[in-house]
Amino acid sequence: MNRARLAAVLRKELIQLLRDRIMLFLILYIYTADVLMCTFALSFDVRNLPTAVADFDRSADSQRLIDGFGASGYFSIEHWTTREAELGGLLNRGEALAALVIPPGFSRRQAAGEAAAVQLLLDGSNANTASVAQGYAQRIAQDYALERAQRAAGQPARLAVEHRPRIWYNSELKYAYFMLLSMIAVAGMLVGVITAAAGIVREKESGTIEQMLVTPVRPAEMIAAKMLPTLLVGLTALFPSLLIAAWVGVPLRGSLALFFLFSAVFLVSSMGIGILVATFAETLQQALLMSFFALFPILFLSGTLVPVESMPWVLQYLAELSPLTHYMEALLGIFLKGVGLEVLWHPLAIIALISATLLALSIWRLRRRIG
Amino acid sequence: MRGLIGAVIWKEVREIRRDPVTIWVAAVLPLIMLYLFGVALSLDVKDAAFAVYDEDGSAESRALAEAFPNSGYFRRTHDIRAQREIGERLDRGQARLVLVIPEDFSAKLARGETAAVQTLVDGSFSATAMVIAGYAAAIVQDYNLAQLRRGGAPPVPVTLESRAWFNAPLKSVNYIVPGLFGVILMAFPPLLTALAVVREKEAGSVQQIFVSPIRPWQFIAGKMVPYAAIAFLEMLMILVAGLWGFGIPFRGSLALFLLATTIYVFCTVGLGLLISTVTRSQLVAMLFALILTLMPSFLFSGFLFPIFTMPEMMQWYTYLFPARYFIDISRGIVMKDVGIEILWPQFAALLAYTAAVFAAATRLFRKKVAA
Amino acid sequence: MAGEVVGTALIMNTPAADQVIVAEGLGRRYGRHTAVTGLDLKVRRGEVFGLLGSDGAGKTTTLQILAGILNPSAGRATVLGYDCVREAASLTARLGYMSQSFSLYGRLSVDENLEFFADLHRVPEPQRQARKTRLLEFARLAPHRDRPARFLSGGMQKKLALCCALIHEPELLVLDEPTTGVDPVSRREFWNILYQALTQGTTIVVSTPYMDEAERCTRVALLHEGRLIACDAPSRLRAQMPGRMLELRARPQRRALAVLEEALPRSRPYVFGDTLHLHQEESPAPAAPLPDLLAARGIAVEQIRPVAPSLEDVFVTRLAGTAPPAAPPATAEAPPVRERTGLAVEVEDLTVRFGDFTAVDRVGFSVRRGEIFGFLGPNGSGKTTTIRILCGLLAPSAGRARVAGYDVRHEPLAVKARIGYMSQRFSLYDDLTVGENLEFFAGAYGVPRARLAARRNWALALAGLEGEEGRPTRGLSGGFKQRLALACAVLHEPEVIFLDEPTAGVDPLSRRRFWELIYRLSDQGVTVFVTTHYMDEAEHCHTLGLLYNGRLIALGTPEELRAGMRAGEMLELECDQPIAALALFQDAPGIRASFFGDRLHLLVDDAEAARAQILARLQRAGHRVHHVERVPLGIEDVFIAFIEMEQARRAAEAA
Repeated sequence: MNRARLAAVLRKELIQLLRDRIMLFLILYIYTADVLMCTFALSFDVRNLPTAVADFDRSADSQRLIDGFGASGYFSIEHWTTREAELGGLLNRGEALAALVIPPGFSRRQAAGEAAAVQLLLDGSNANTASVAQGYAQRIAQDYALERAQRAAGQPARLAVEHRPRIWYNSELKYAYFMLLSMIAVAGMLVGVITAAAGIVREKESGTIEQMLVTPVRPAEMIAAKMLPTLLVGLTALFPSLLIAAWVGVPLRGSLALFFLFSAVFLVSSMGIGILVATFAETLQQALLMSFFALFPILFLSGTLVPVESMPWVLQYLAELSPLTHYMEALLGIFLKGVGLEVLWHPLAIIALISATLLALSIWRLRRRIG
Repeated sequence: MRGLIGAVIWKEVREIRRDPVTIWVAAVLPLIMLYLFGVALSLDVKDAAFAVYDEDGSAESRALAEAFPNSGYFRRTHDIRAQREIGERLDRGQARLVLVIPEDFSAKLARGETAAVQTLVDGSFSATAMVIAGYAAAIVQDYNLAQLRRGGAPPVPVTLESRAWFNAPLKSVNYIVPGLFGVILMAFPPLLTALAVVREKEAGSVQQIFVSPIRPWQFIAGKMVPYAAIAFLEMLMILVAGLWGFGIPFRGSLALFLLATTIYVFCTVGLGLLISTVTRSQLVAMLFALILTLMPSFLFSGFLFPIFTMPEMMQWYTYLFPARYFIDISRGIVMKDVGIEILWPQFAALLAYTAAVFAAATRLFRKKVAA
Repeated sequence: MAGEVVGTALIMNTPAADQVIVAEGLGRRYGRHTAVTGLDLKVRRGEVFGLLGSDGAGKTTTLQILAGILNPSAGRATVLGYDCVREAASLTARLGYMSQSFSLYGRLSVDENLEFFADLHRVPEPQRQARKTRLLEFARLAPHRDRPARFLSGGMQKKLALCCALIHEPELLVLDEPTTGVDPVSRREFWNILYQALTQGTTIVVSTPYMDEAERCTRVALLHEGRLIACDAPSRLRAQMPGRMLELRARPQRRALAVLEEALPRSRPYVFGDTLHLHQEESPAPAAPLPDLLAARGIAVEQIRPVAPSLEDVFVTRLAGTAPPAAPPATAEAPPVRERTGLAVEVEDLTVRFGDFTAVDRVGFSVRRGEIFGFLGPNGSGKTTTIRILCGLLAPSAGRARVAGYDVRHEPLAVKARIGYMSQRFSLYDDLTVGENLEFFAGAYGVPRARLAARRNWALALAGLEGEEGRPTRGLSGGFKQRLALACAVLHEPEVIFLDEPTAGVDPLSRRRFWELIYRLSDQGVTVFVTTHYMDEAEHCHTLGLLYNGRLIALGTPEELRAGMRAGEMLELECDQPIAALALFQDAPGIRASFFGDRLHLLVDDAEAARAQILARLQRAGHRVHHVERVPLGIEDVFIAFIEMEQARRAAEAA
């Protein structure tokens, strides 16, 4: 590469990017508003699940059980009824997502030493919420049962096994931490692909690419010059996201430098996708459509919404090919787990390999167009 | 001779038929997306990687450890031999749950004391961590209750019978697919139509429309009908593929569902046209479509992330996007078998929305080259 | 402007029903920019009204207002009796409009495009088929009815767009630069369709950068910076031009031009074929000092004579006062004159195939160093493809090409370092400033740091943009963009420059300045390889190559081509009703008639023999003939003759 030539192309690209208000706005929007909104709004946490209660027993025992549900924080008891049919309506209309039914004789049966059953009706139309809620309810009921059993035996509380659960990395199980990191990763992907693809296709559309190709500038120089400004802006745009992360309270247990190293390598790989797309597209519309549909599955199937391991094995292998999967793994590692290169060298190597392959392909495509 | 609307429809149909990109986007991508998201977007916990650090090595400790894989939720992947290995397994993501049984476990049980066990959960993906922690706690509680029973305590005083309505096996796919109907229809048709008018603006052919006797509403309607028809066919396609391919039971009224679909396709196509009348370049139109239709319908419609956990302001925000209403209707009909008596508010909202979108698009489409 | 007053007075007397367009004080602003202001226009029924002006003069804005698709911000206009703003819907239904951009549906076939526009304008079925057939026949598009519009050549697309605008037989046709970038053959056919419409009573308002088209208009309006500065019949405008035009034959011509430019800058001398034209302001000015002036500098003057001014001269004279100096000042640094011997471009058996389609078919030619080589041919004949090969942008399927001594296939980088290229669309970076564009191309071409400042200043002078380095390129007018693009392409002092339709859509004044630059480069020994659709520009080239359907069908100097083509002899006819007269000769045996400005050109085998026959025919039809005289064949006639010969040869081959 010729340094003077590279410098000239680089300068031009930098000016163009910095002057492109729409693109800069988009980048900033993705890294701030988008991150913020998704972090605050989107969660799989089950808290204050709208719950209906049908207490046909109306005893101190049934009240104690209901209190157990209400005090847990997971269920918010919003409807009381003693009519079975009304429960159905509440669930059908989605006004209650869970319903607790305590049958008559609940208290009497327990006093008589018989087993008493209570029923929990869950709206399964969101299976995840339902299964989490089910787990919570099970625990509340068991706690109640244990306490009741001990009370009946007249002994002080004594358990055979004490369970001490500990959640690593995210002890309060805040989905926001995950969501925030996930949105940073998604943002990097979007920005890298869109700016790189738009940058090249725009030149194709306006015909300036021909003008550039008749100069002695080499394809490799052109691509390098296209990538560096975006890389710079993309890395700079991480700072507002980091501020949001700090504000939300996402712990940074690992090295900040490693985070930037990963982000840089990852941005190169996402720009590689954009450039490769651009070598196939003739118009901006085509490029956007292509990157859009390449992007959409990648964005959400790379462990950013749901864990890769719960996907079918075919998709798990495909996800391995996505740089986003590895970047996401690295982000969780750096921020939540506090691990370093000794663990993360593997994803780093894979992202680098993907980047190199994509760039080599792009340069080859550009060369072929000329020669 | 065709009427004016007919002329636009006729022209549009011919153009679409010869545009491989549109056909590809309209016919193939929805199926791919349905497949990908149908199989991949799952938060179900099944066979989660589970490791045991059993310092005790007794029959009792083994029995407790066995209870985990027996539940069906966990798959035992590693037997940990040293303390430091615990961290490593979790750091590398090789185990999502580690059960630690101390060496005095069986001794304490024999002495009738409370023995403590620890479970370490990888909280980095909190949504499944929550479910995992819930399952672990329930397994240990079961063990406790069994111990109590063996110690001669009265039989379990309370049992909780959970029943999930609408989706008894609590499978993610059962609620993801009916939601996907709403998302996919919001992803592709608006994008295609958003480009439909802007493309003519950019090419300049729209000026010929300006100097013809056609009225704005006729032009908009003519553009809308073919794309709405495509969207409708798209829906039939993914409906059949979704119900058969994934074995989703369709419980409600097909006629009602198709009625909702008819309204919804005009709504999504209309949104695209609205975007396209207010924008000037295909790039901006696509970005608008991305920000106003696809993203919100994916993230803020209750498709994946339940709405009740969102902050109140964001809950209001979700009302801005028609996908929310349609997904309610779709899940209501497919999963809950509810009818218009319950879904009328959603139907009304969707109708009003569609009318408003059409009116706005017609009003904003001016037969002038500049304001 | 006495003439305008007379013209207006005349119009006032005609009945109002005859006024197709009445515009009063029309104005339009975009933000702070004023596009059109204080425009008064009246157009009568049956006129061909031309709108002329440089880029950004307000032509498109005016036409859009008149077509009812843009609201004026001041004044009012009544078109076909409807108010342009309040009754726009009724108006737009009655007119045909062709915008500058591609206005067809590319994926629809020729037939389907016509169908769609017929539907839009509710053309009833019985008339529809007849009109379609007639229009397609006339536009020579009938054999291509099922071809998608996007696969038509540029010229065919324009003709089809015109057919679509005519399918509902509008009373008024508004055309915005309909023939820009269209080759002469297609342009003739395009105008034939227009004349056909005209005879059926359609009024035409057209903007155009071609002066020969402007000459065909009944009246023209000259716009400058949004204002109307002249409006009258072309002949009257010519007559009203102050001063007179002189034609000068002198050796050496280039020295003569340089001397005249320096001594008489206000006379705006320019090259016209092998002569120089210049304007003399004082009508009775003595012609004597001129030869003395030139003789004193050692220039031999062979002939000086007054000539009738062309409309272009009128245009240039009217606008010259408002524009910057015609030529860049000689800069401190005189570029070295290059070696002029040897070949700059050698092409042998060059062939390019795209799939089954042969875009360039065994083309061979060579270009001497320092030569201006004009590459002509209809749209889609393979000119751009050939240039792309010579620039190393495309690999040939077969054959050999050497540029500046290097093989384009094997040594593309060496070629690229020695050439400059200006593609069809003045490809500059819109979002960069003038200075930034120059710096970028200097860097990309590897102009040494030490020479950078000097080259930059030189380029700015060349483009006429000194002191404007900070201006965003987006805001420049077409003429400036074009000169800047040329400056960028020659920053690194290339040996050969390739210019692909560098003057498409550029006004005459800018074109003339641009060609000054080309001459200057050629004088310095730079080889210039240029394509154009302007036949007057073709006359300026040293050598011409004519490409048709990928084959090189003619090669030589303009004189050689004229001499070599036994095309016949040309008679120029001036009469009072040229349109009717043209119809008279449309299918006369042995006579090929076409418009040339407001006159007719009749191509015949023997001028003397045909003259009597033609006069008799005209008299029988009751035409008043002003004069008939034999004129030399224009290069356009030669060009068309070559193409027709080739078509005949191929037809014979096929049979």
